[in-house]
Amino acid sequence: MTDSDTADKNLSYEQAREELVEVVRKLEAGGITLEESLALWERGEKLATLCQEWLDGARKKIDAAIQD
Amino acid sequence: MLRFGRASFPDAGEGKARMSVDRSRVGGMALDTSPESPAPVRQIANAIGGWIDRLGAVWVEGQVAQMSRRPGMQTVFLTLRDSVADISVPVTCTRFLLDSLNPPLVEGASVIIHAKPSYYANRGTLSLQARDIRPVGLGELLARLEQRRQLLAAEGLFAAELKRPLPFLPTKVGLVTAANSAAERDVLENARRRWPQVRFEVAYAAMQGSRSAADVVEKLQRLDRDPEVDVIVVARGGGSVEDLLPFSDEHLIRAVHAARTPVVSAIGHEPDSPLLDLAADVRASTPTDAAKLVVPDVVEEQRIVATGRDRLRGGIAALIHREQTLLDALRSRPVLADPRSLIDARRDEVTSLRDRARRTVGHALDRAADDIGHHRARARALSPLETLRRGYAVAQDADGHVLTSVADAAEGAAVSIRLADGRLAATITSTEQTETAETEPIKTEPLKEGSDD
Repeated sequence: MTDSDTADKNLSYEQAREELVEVVRKLEAGGITLEESLALWERGEKLATLCQEWLDGARKKIDAAIQD
Repeated sequence: MLRFGRASFPDAGEGKARMSVDRSRVGGMALDTSPESPAPVRQIANAIGGWIDRLGAVWVEGQVAQMSRRPGMQTVFLTLRDSVADISVPVTCTRFLLDSLNPPLVEGASVIIHAKPSYYANRGTLSLQARDIRPVGLGELLARLEQRRQLLAAEGLFAAELKRPLPFLPTKVGLVTAANSAAERDVLENARRRWPQVRFEVAYAAMQGSRSAADVVEKLQRLDRDPEVDVIVVARGGGSVEDLLPFSDEHLIRAVHAARTPVVSAIGHEPDSPLLDLAADVRASTPTDAAKLVVPDVVEEQRIVATGRDRLRGGIAALIHREQTLLDALRSRPVLADPRSLIDARRDEVTSLRDRARRTVGHALDRAADDIGHHRARARALSPLETLRRGYAVAQDADGHVLTSVADAAEGAAVSIRLADGRLAATITSTEQTETAETEPIKTEPLKEGSDD
């Protein structure tokens, strides 16, 4: 696991979401190189996955709690 | 001078009686005794008896702790206890005196006794011989209670800021009450109905009579020392003002004040108000009320918890749903949903640029081709071949030199004549010089003439 992966694990849901919004905004605004936009898109995918993991985890916890 | 501090009351009726002893006369009791000549017991007993007999009658107040009538005996033995200190003194009185009292004397009653100290030499016991016994009246009791209340209140024992809150869920509830009493049942049953898991530490104490206050204090202090006991209930059913006197006892009030565990008083019904009610942290009107105060209603609490949990779950579910919607919206944006769009835009750009490049190059080539055609036509138009087609001929000597003058060829020389579609081999038969000096017609004429051959 790389440093950036560790840093990502420490991101809160809100931090990941804010960054994702920013990535989408930049991508939509354009005016960047292809290389940059590909890097941004990869980052966006990663952030979206992180957010989804947060939400899935939260939902699982609730389901488990409600089962009890 | 010896003096019985509590021995007299201003309104005691017969005036002040005082027990006093002249020291010089006590000194006179001293006998000449030594190990060699000891005094016999009777002499000592008589001397003590004589000394005590000289003491006068006193008025004394206390509580009847014990009363024993022995069948056939004219003398009744009482134990008179101090109302505060654990000090008692035996009292004897005649059966006649006791029976004449109205209301009849009961254990626990506060009394004022007029008595004379008396020494019973046979047993070596001291007792007070009662000459008169007066129960302390209700009005006087209440007046004295009020006085005590004011004193203790002035001391700050009832101050509101001393009141401690009761624990919400006590680890254990201490209960001081009489064994098998209705009060005990009321507290236990009502508390268990509200919260079945409630744990009690019950300490039975005499809740009536002269020993009651000391007993309650002892049990209260024992429960107070138990670290698991988080609240202590002192419970007793209602009763007469006399019955409830122990719960106004100064020692008990001070013990409650000193207790570090919150104390709930649950004495009798509303109209009864012993001082314990004022000293306790919380006053319950009845033992049943005390049960309600010390434990929560578990059904009600569960309903609150269930409501809270439902709202909590609803809230968190809504929050997650909202975030999910937001995330879905972000992911469905073209830049994320179909990242090929990022490439597509650029691919289109490349394609269009390539097309433009191709078109441009194509045009350039076309133009160049046209140019070439044009030039070719011009070149063709300028070529000698066309001239030849029009009928002109080029004459060349044997060496291939083009003949431009009749002088270039002698008669009999072989020449090659070039026409549009081939060559003729010819021999010069004659030469003729024309008058005109111009070169071109000269060049052409001979050729024509040559080809005519």
